[in-house]
Amino acid sequence: MKKVFLVVLTVLMVSLSFSVTTITISGWPGNPDEEAAIKAAVDEFNATHKDIQVDWEPIPGNYLETLKTRISAGTAPDIFYVDVYFFEELAGKNILLPLDLFIKKDNFNLNAYFEPLVNAFKYNERVYGIAKDFSTLAFFFNKEIFDKYGVPYPTSEDTWFDLLDKALQLKRKGFETPLVLAADFNRVIPFILGTGGSLVDENLNTALDTPASRFGIKFYVDMVTKYKVAVEPQEVGAGWIGEALGKEKVAMAMTGPWTIGFLKGSYPDVFKKIGVVEMPSLIRKVTMVYTVSWSINRNTPHKNEAWEVLKFLVTRGQEIFVERAGVLASRKDIAAKDTDPIKVPFYKGAEYAYPWKVPTPTGIFSIANDQINSRLKDLFYGKITLDEALKQIKDNYFDWVSGK
Amino acid sequence: MKRKTKEAIAGYLFALPIIITILTFTIYPIFAAFYYSFTDYNPLNARNLETKFNPQEALEFHLGVFQTDVSSVDEIIDFFDLLSFIKYDVGVNLDETKEKIILENFDTQKLLKDFVHGKLNKEMKLSDFMSEYLKSGKKYFKRYIPNFLGLLNFKKMFNDQYFRISLFNTFFYTVIVVPVQTFLALILAVAANSKIKGVKFFKLTFFIPSITSSAAISMIFWMIYSKPGILNRLLGYFGFQPIAWLENPNTALPAIMVMNIWTTAGYFMITFLAGLQDIPSSIYEAARIDGATPNKIFWKIILPLLRPQILFVATMGTIGCMQVFDQIYFLIKNMRNITISFYIYKNAFEYGNMGYASALSLVLFAIILSLTLIQRKLVKETY
Repeated sequence: MKKVFLVVLTVLMVSLSFSVTTITISGWPGNPDEEAAIKAAVDEFNATHKDIQVDWEPIPGNYLETLKTRISAGTAPDIFYVDVYFFEELAGKNILLPLDLFIKKDNFNLNAYFEPLVNAFKYNERVYGIAKDFSTLAFFFNKEIFDKYGVPYPTSEDTWFDLLDKALQLKRKGFETPLVLAADFNRVIPFILGTGGSLVDENLNTALDTPASRFGIKFYVDMVTKYKVAVEPQEVGAGWIGEALGKEKVAMAMTGPWTIGFLKGSYPDVFKKIGVVEMPSLIRKVTMVYTVSWSINRNTPHKNEAWEVLKFLVTRGQEIFVERAGVLASRKDIAAKDTDPIKVPFYKGAEYAYPWKVPTPTGIFSIANDQINSRLKDLFYGKITLDEALKQIKDNYFDWVSGK
Repeated sequence: MKRKTKEAIAGYLFALPIIITILTFTIYPIFAAFYYSFTDYNPLNARNLETKFNPQEALEFHLGVFQTDVSSVDEIIDFFDLLSFIKYDVGVNLDETKEKIILENFDTQKLLKDFVHGKLNKEMKLSDFMSEYLKSGKKYFKRYIPNFLGLLNFKKMFNDQYFRISLFNTFFYTVIVVPVQTFLALILAVAANSKIKGVKFFKLTFFIPSITSSAAISMIFWMIYSKPGILNRLLGYFGFQPIAWLENPNTALPAIMVMNIWTTAGYFMITFLAGLQDIPSSIYEAARIDGATPNKIFWKIILPLLRPQILFVATMGTIGCMQVFDQIYFLIKNMRNITISFYIYKNAFEYGNMGYASALSLVLFAIILSLTLIQRKLVKETY
């Protein structure tokens, strides 16, 4: 009898020591560099941890839609990317696990991260995710085109009117499409805030029709319609802003660090001619910061293991990311090690950047975003006047953000 | 048992796999969509009550003290905020009615007592937790039941600008595309049916677009329609200014229509071709002996004899056009040019308004059904 008991015990011990928890992490697939970086991070984690194994399962295509469907079916990954843009919607619906207890237990130092990036993933004073990296907008220009037409280069100290002046000079001298702009609300936000305007008032109603905000929007639209110095990327046969730069159809663009990797890979010759400076300003220096967190699924059966993985991903994992994928580090000590000169304007931008999220009572902004974008497009094509557009936005705003 | 019953049972057994498949994947979703169209179903709430949590940890975090440091309920009751605890620390999604139920029926004393006695240190489901500590109204927290809204979703459509726009676009699209593509398919079929050289090549050329994936076609047309694209270059020879066809809200929908007509005409050509080959050659011969011109033969013989095929093509074309989605999804970046099925998709998967999306799809279903019925009334079936 004793022998049987012993055998059972050994079998149990052995099977216990071999029991491995698999944590599935997910996000959208990046470019080949990013994919390689994340695989390297996962491999390193798996090599150093025996009891926890990580599985990287990216969701190609419509990320948010797929993620929501999987959440409702109960098959969502344990850890996943959450873009600050839809963060409040998920946090408000209790989809994400608050990390405060883990942070307290482990004495995890949140101060090691840039403050705007930590605040970006707070909801009701709880932390629901830690920024994996970030991107800010900066000002790209093609030196060769500026040299050819004898126009001085843009600088980090330029105002909006310097930008307009340089664009007009290029246009007068025969370069028809100096600047590329997108009819995207988030790209207009630096112009709204740069005049001292704001997106929402204290009641979370829209403030786009206040004089300062209106001026910023008007300036943005005027560059397309009145001065005709800016075009949408599609106007020059490009799918997006980076491609318009790469094809050398435009001389200037406001875009993020993802464009660097794209240009390096697809247009290496053009990349050598590209200069990057900070965004032009008016009253205030403003740029956008886009950031994505690693967050834990509230429904995961392995909360503690998931926290271990998350901790790795935002520390050592981030280091691997920054080295190999050329992203900007959200952790200050890793950022300090990052000395690539072309990244300087982006890191500088982090000091005065506004995170891409618009606070609403329900955390839902996607409907309003579509509606505002549609009106921006109409403005670009002169279908409505700015006052009409602002009135429509004002009249319907509460319906759009109510999420009903 | 009778032989017949036995046979019937055996028959149903054989058919059982497909019956079950159809029931679960077709019949049930139809009824579910019908039900959801009267509710505010949000998929993000679906798993909420099945989440597991540790009540002791949640309370420790909420109160800011460790369980071991607490000796009586009175010490902590002042720091306890019921709604914020349930909403954010336990993590139950609440609306106003549920908030009221909790405020009236939640047994705070019992919870705090259990906390002080250390009975809470275990993982439990939200639904179990709620039924443990609610005095009544437990049924609201058993599982996710969307709120019943009655006809509210349908009323909302009347004030929804994009419902109107998308519905108008869909009708506009159908009214143009269906007649043109039917007529074009007919012409192509008559041409392909004639005995000219290389007819096989033409048949193939006309048919290839309809078996190509719509994503690939969309990409090709995206290039054709882009501002430096081939279409603008051709038009440039005639002195036209280049237009970004798909970005301009005035030209985007017509551009998609042209593309879709080109894609589907070849497919319906096959239907007409089959119909044409059914027309006996003796009728043509008789007509020719009577001195009918080719023009007359087309209008007086081919067209009437192809009536069943025309009805079929027009009906299928209408249904397809009312549901047009993929080309819009790939090519349209402007809310002004969306169609109803794209708007349904947006509501269901982007905005999280599954209830409203179901209501929209019900309306689309009703429209398609009535259009089909009208078509069948207008063109009597004669076979």
